[in-house]
Amino acid sequence: MMRETTVDKALLAAFADGELSPEEAAAVVMHLADHPEDQAFVDDLMAANAALIRAFDAPMTAPVPPAILAAIDGPPVRAKVVALPKRRGLAWAAVALAASVGLAVVLFPAARPTGLTAGPVAQGQALHDALQSLPSGTTVPLTAGQDLTILATLPTTAGHCREVEVINRADRRLDVALACTAGDGWRVDVVLSEPLPEATPDQGFVPAGGIETEALTLWLDRLGAGMALDAATEAAMIARGWAR
Amino acid sequence: MTDQRSDTFRRNLVALVPKLRRFALSLTGNMPDADDLVQAACEKALRNIAQFVPGTRMDSWMYRIVQTLWLDDRRKLKRRGASVDPDDVHLSDHGKAANLPEDRMMLAQTRAAMLDLPQGQREVLALVAIEGLSYREAAETLEVPVGTVMSRLSRARDALLPKLGLSQGKRQ
Repeated sequence: MMRETTVDKALLAAFADGELSPEEAAAVVMHLADHPEDQAFVDDLMAANAALIRAFDAPMTAPVPPAILAAIDGPPVRAKVVALPKRRGLAWAAVALAASVGLAVVLFPAARPTGLTAGPVAQGQALHDALQSLPSGTTVPLTAGQDLTILATLPTTAGHCREVEVINRADRRLDVALACTAGDGWRVDVVLSEPLPEATPDQGFVPAGGIETEALTLWLDRLGAGMALDAATEAAMIARGWAR
Repeated sequence: MTDQRSDTFRRNLVALVPKLRRFALSLTGNMPDADDLVQAACEKALRNIAQFVPGTRMDSWMYRIVQTLWLDDRRKLKRRGASVDPDDVHLSDHGKAANLPEDRMMLAQTRAAMLDLPQGQREVLALVAIEGLSYREAAETLEVPVGTVMSRLSRARDALLPKLGLSQGKRQ
């Protein structure tokens, strides 16, 4: 098959790697529009780059090992440095500390109870019902002014954990918790709270923000969590009552 | 060397540690070896702090130290006739892979495929694709021509993409 090949692999790779000037990149974009096979190649390169970044990303959110800190400098301030996102420094440092010593942590304790408190979840509680049977991505009212959404289900070495978000409109607060299977029931391992962003719409769940994607990662890593279950696998677990 | 400059250097070095650990992990394939490598690199950097030119990129300088130490380690292993080939040491997932969802499998495959690459290709791919260095910066870090960076990248991807289940478009 005849094909115009004025663009070679090296140029496409340079495009995927962000090496080209805006003008060169624009020319490649124009070319790709008419050459799906080259577009597919660029897509593959970008997918491989993204996979590589994720495959080796663990150190970027982990605390710096004490031995390395000691090698760089012993006593002064640096002993407390952890590689956590700066914008939530204090809160995340607390989470990191709790994670490192195996404690449950509650930040900014709730002004009014949501059921999202660390510890076993009693059967009959709305939270228990939601954990047991609600598919991820579905929102249910918890009490007046409080909506609960299960964000995701993750497999762990000991069972499953579910990320739970509660929007508390009355208190303008957003809680995110990690609840995990424990025996025949559920246990809330960690609860994080933050003020509800001003821009949050009055209805619907808040798009995944910093809390669960960053801080909870520490917990999930400790629990040996895998990636979120797909809907069919999750539905099967719900149908089985989360039996292992 | 003033104390102030030394303090600044140390502070900047601490800030770089996560990236250095990531780079070392992508070279060694396991965290304990990566941490040993980063620790040794930090110690070496501090011993040679006078050689660092302020105003130049400290990350590239540190990547270079990590990379040369890694090469030294590999040579020593070979001389000793080590029973374990570093290329065979894959990241342990504690036996979970069998039950893990597709996405985590993909990451495990990516790590394994990276470790199958020859040393020169692995370094270039790590610096460009993971650390985000430009071809020129990667060339300067590794002290090779830019053309070498590009050809190693190309060969690395030829080997890597099929192992990740990526078709490479239809260009082969």
